[in-house]
Amino acid sequence: MALTTALGRAAGKPTARPGRAASLRRRRISTTPYLFLLPGIAVFVVAIIWPAISAFQMSLYKWNVFNSALSRWSGIDNYVRAFQDPHFWLSLSNSGIYMVATVIPQIVLGLGIALLLKRKSPSQPVFRVLFYLPVVTSWVVVSLLFKYLFDDSGLINFTLHDFLHLEASNTSWLAGRWSALVVICLLGIWKGIGWSMMIYLAALQGVPESLEEAAEMDGANRWQRFRVVTLPAINPATVFVSVMLVIGGLNVFTSVQLITDGGPIGQTDVVLTYMYTQAFKYSDFGYASSIAVILAVLVFILAVVQLRVMRRDDTEELS
Amino acid sequence: MKRSTTAGAAVAAALAITLLATGCSSGSGDSGGGSASKPVTITFWGAYGNGGNSTQQDALNKTLIPAFEKANPGITVKYTDIAYDSLLQKLTTSAAGGQLPDLVRADLGWVPQFAQNGVLVPLSDSMPDYKSLASKDYNGSVATNLYQGKYYGLPLDTNTRVLITDEAALAKAGMTKAPATFDDLQAMADKLKGSGVSLFADSKLEAWQISPWIWSGGGVLTNAKETKATGYLNSAKNVKTIQMLVDWYNEGLIPNLITGNAGATGTSDGLPKSDYATIFDGPWMAGIWAGQYPSFTPIYSQIPAGPGGSVSVVGGEDIVLTASSKHQEAAEKFIRFTQGSAFQLAMVKTGQMTVRPALADQQAAIDPYFKAFSDQLKTAKSRIASPNQSKIDTVLNTTLTQAFLGTTTVKAALDSAASQVDALLAGN
Repeated sequence: MALTTALGRAAGKPTARPGRAASLRRRRISTTPYLFLLPGIAVFVVAIIWPAISAFQMSLYKWNVFNSALSRWSGIDNYVRAFQDPHFWLSLSNSGIYMVATVIPQIVLGLGIALLLKRKSPSQPVFRVLFYLPVVTSWVVVSLLFKYLFDDSGLINFTLHDFLHLEASNTSWLAGRWSALVVICLLGIWKGIGWSMMIYLAALQGVPESLEEAAEMDGANRWQRFRVVTLPAINPATVFVSVMLVIGGLNVFTSVQLITDGGPIGQTDVVLTYMYTQAFKYSDFGYASSIAVILAVLVFILAVVQLRVMRRDDTEELS
Repeated sequence: MKRSTTAGAAVAAALAITLLATGCSSGSGDSGGGSASKPVTITFWGAYGNGGNSTQQDALNKTLIPAFEKANPGITVKYTDIAYDSLLQKLTTSAAGGQLPDLVRADLGWVPQFAQNGVLVPLSDSMPDYKSLASKDYNGSVATNLYQGKYYGLPLDTNTRVLITDEAALAKAGMTKAPATFDDLQAMADKLKGSGVSLFADSKLEAWQISPWIWSGGGVLTNAKETKATGYLNSAKNVKTIQMLVDWYNEGLIPNLITGNAGATGTSDGLPKSDYATIFDGPWMAGIWAGQYPSFTPIYSQIPAGPGGSVSVVGGEDIVLTASSKHQEAAEKFIRFTQGSAFQLAMVKTGQMTVRPALADQQAAIDPYFKAFSDQLKTAKSRIASPNQSKIDTVLNTTLTQAFLGTTTVKAALDSAASQVDALLAGN
């Protein structure tokens, strides 16, 4: 009796007030995912959003990093100063040169190597690892390695001068703006090819073989198949690779800092080394922050433009 | 299942709250302050261990700090070693976050900048015995602590640059002893022309590098009050001195290391390898060469004298007390301890030069090579004490490099440098 009453009560309860129980369950279900998202969001807010807002705030002040209460409001003065500062423009142009000079070779060579490594062969995993190795190596290590290679008495000069006798005397690669930028760009390309290769390898796996076969049956040669079938099929990967490489190219820092430290006399400064100098050498955090904000806005605009242009190409080709 | 989901959600929420709380509380600072009955711990940051040098840290941690703690019961000193290259960055961010230690062994170039920003306690105000302590130290070293009429630290160790050469280089130039004057250097230059050996090498053209030349050449960087450079930095004497160096550069007797070639052989390698005949450098080089070039015997001598005599530049570190310190009295006791002969001589044994001229003889007895440096220190001068010292360095390096590269004349370069330094001295 007692049991049946209990059962009856248990069974009867949901039927007694169905609306309230269901809404309770729904509410519980709806809050749980957000609670799980909360740690991630908290980290994002603390580590990304909050510093970004702080940097923007600092950029509007003559910021005193030692005692923020002494900071003076300066409005857009720091931005005006940046636009009138020839060294800022020099560093921005160096970042731009690095970006252009490294992004295109990384895409072309990365895709080329991916095409070569797509075919099954016993040595293929070895080559994949070898090409990917620079990507996982520390920037600090490879920057110092390149610095020693292009030293006045480094291996490159030894090869060109002492071994091949192509130079009359040793070249001071790191003594001039352009030759030093060549070294920095070569490092960027060498270190980045493996990454774009990996993305393209994954993308190439997704190209349907039937499409290639159909094109082959229609009499398309290898180049035509690549241009008309493969390239459009991997366009999303190209969009992704180019957007990421442009962002990475404009954010170049470690290699420049370690190879030339912006020298000689600031001629190889890029935006981030110039920002670092302003912040940590001159303690001018307001000006450094305005440089950071300008770079962030520039990168954002470039990424949006790239996505627009490349996606439009995509849809035009499909229609 | 449901229970574990709920528990997981609770953990997630707790984690998020903790993260937000810790992330946002970084600026709240330390609230603990020692009372008279409670022992206090003072924190001390420095870069004694730079370059993997453990002897200085060992002397501090195993001998000196225990001796101080024994003499001052209730005070514990906690020393934290930070790599020199990241120390300024760490101090800057710690100052911003209100997390500075009580005491810092600061590079003397940083003191005016920290003083200007209110980070430091003016010791000349807070320590009644400051004058008597400072009077025992080299004037040039004490002067590095001056900012707007107050002294913000005491010299902890000192150094200067002297001329270093070696027998092989001298033999190549047909000389039996190190060049003692600008004229000797010129004679050496004539002999070394076309020999493949550079007469002199240095890494930049900042105040640390160029001041010994300017002062020995009879010139100055600014007026005595350090408020104006025009009329001083661009004087005829300085034009003449710098022109002498530029001429040597053009004749291939000074390598392009000086104009910022990051790929050129460094001075510490170029001298023992006989690429460079002379360099200016500090007392720390002895230890570096002993490890890397054991067969190399450096010869230390005074900076070659010009019309202004033989005048070098003061380097070293100062001990400073932060304004945020909760234990100023205990920290000042430790500052006094660092000025004593026990501390000074113990650090001499690890390669740090004493700031007290009265200890110079005992120092030379510990290692004779210190004598060249302590003799040079008698006339050595400190660089411009300005919060804008780093920017002044950039101005000097940039303008003078252009003169060396021939894109401008020495006179025009110094005129430009002087007017830019004027603005920086005025605080702009």
